[in-house]
Amino acid sequence: MEGLKFAKTHEWVKVEGDLAIIGLTDFAQEELGDIVYAEPEPEGSQVELEDIIGTVESVKAASDLYAPVSGEIVEANSEIEDAPEMINQAPWETWFVKIRMDDPSQLDQLLDKDAYDAFSEEEKA
Amino acid sequence: MKKTPLYDRHVALGARMVEYAGWNMPVQYAGLKEEIAAVRNETGMFDVSHMGEIRVSGQGTGEFLDWLLTRKVTGKKPDQITYAILSAADGGTVDDLLVYTLGAEDYLLVVNAANKDKDLIHIEESLVSYKAAFADRKSEIAVVDESDLYGQVAIQGPSSLDCMLEVADQLGLNAGQKEELKELKRFRQMLVEVEGHDRPMIISRTGYTGENGYELYVPAARTGHYWDIFMEAGIEPCGLGARDTLRLEAGMPLYGHEMSPDINALEGGMSFFVDLDRDFQGKAMKDKVTRRQLALVSQTRAIPREGYEVYLEGKKIGVITSGTFSPTLDKGIAFGLVDLDTPEVGEVEVQVRKKLQPFTVVNPPFVG
Repeated sequence: MEGLKFAKTHEWVKVEGDLAIIGLTDFAQEELGDIVYAEPEPEGSQVELEDIIGTVESVKAASDLYAPVSGEIVEANSEIEDAPEMINQAPWETWFVKIRMDDPSQLDQLLDKDAYDAFSEEEKA
Repeated sequence: MKKTPLYDRHVALGARMVEYAGWNMPVQYAGLKEEIAAVRNETGMFDVSHMGEIRVSGQGTGEFLDWLLTRKVTGKKPDQITYAILSAADGGTVDDLLVYTLGAEDYLLVVNAANKDKDLIHIEESLVSYKAAFADRKSEIAVVDESDLYGQVAIQGPSSLDCMLEVADQLGLNAGQKEELKELKRFRQMLVEVEGHDRPMIISRTGYTGENGYELYVPAARTGHYWDIFMEAGIEPCGLGARDTLRLEAGMPLYGHEMSPDINALEGGMSFFVDLDRDFQGKAMKDKVTRRQLALVSQTRAIPREGYEVYLEGKKIGVITSGTFSPTLDKGIAFGLVDLDTPEVGEVEVQVRKKLQPFTVVNPPFVG
């Protein structure tokens, strides 16, 4: 989890060069419960900040993931479509999409781990 | 927010608590999938103390209830429970409920928590109309909210009878009552006296999961005592989340979804529970049927949700009223409410986000 950035819409972001690798936080998967469906937006999609980049559903509820940065989806993790439970089991390793960032300075708007933990704790209460 | 007598136990068990119908209720304990599997394969238990209990009693009550509800309560065996719809004069649905017979002209209506207060008003108002319409009938009828007097625990699953018999002594059943429990038929009740309380515990073979099961109506202050007996017997506590998915798998309707003031019982797929061969307050519903219910199973991974639109050959024909992922079937399942003139077809489409997804039309229940 070192070096990860977080969005208030519960995505984690790992930066590798000009790529932002994006997944769903442990807090969010815990809140959703047993995840039974997951679908990343397809490769090649151009997304703006806060566009939908994936969908996840538990038994009871559907929820979207939003782009924490603008750019092109250069890779989508199709494994999660066949095994959505991976998101419950290993939220920090299970990514949805990799975005080639248009503007890495957008990362500055994201939260660090402590700030995200405090934020999600508040959401829970 | 109201709390059931078991609130502290739920919190101690680490349940996720949510507001439901003004009550602080457990939505899940170990997890939906595990809880649903427990009920489908063994036994699970639910705190359903939030349910409302309305006692209607006094001279003429049976005849009044016959007029108030979509099915007759009179002429039944004394231990027989009646599922019926409480409908308004315009035919819209006020609530669905179970009617228990406590004695001669003495009935207990078990109603949805969210509807209890409006049910009470509706029943009182209906009583005024009834007296005006049938001045020749003797009626000395009292309508009393007894919800605070009862706690309720549901034991549900294929092993639920074994479980009940295992703890029968602790529940206070004597040898004769154990036999009675073994022989108890579906939608029948038995009464068991509770030491130190003037009202008996009601055990009924009823439930909202599609599995065999029992519901225990106990003195509110004793609810924890009974809950603990089942916990010690190793029964899995299950929350409202599991309950909702189980009921949909079983093809059972939920008020506010399959029926409402705007969706009458005939439209909501409950014609079996509406006796149109006699007069009752909401009979106007028969001329107000403009939609009908479809039970749908997803052909893909798509999961239907309430409010999603239903299409046939590119034309919108209705909406989903309840939808979920069914862990038992490993598929999405739903009830849809569609235009009455929708032809009999084997397949429709549901718009899931941006795409139309194929769904098979089935006969409910989805499971069982």
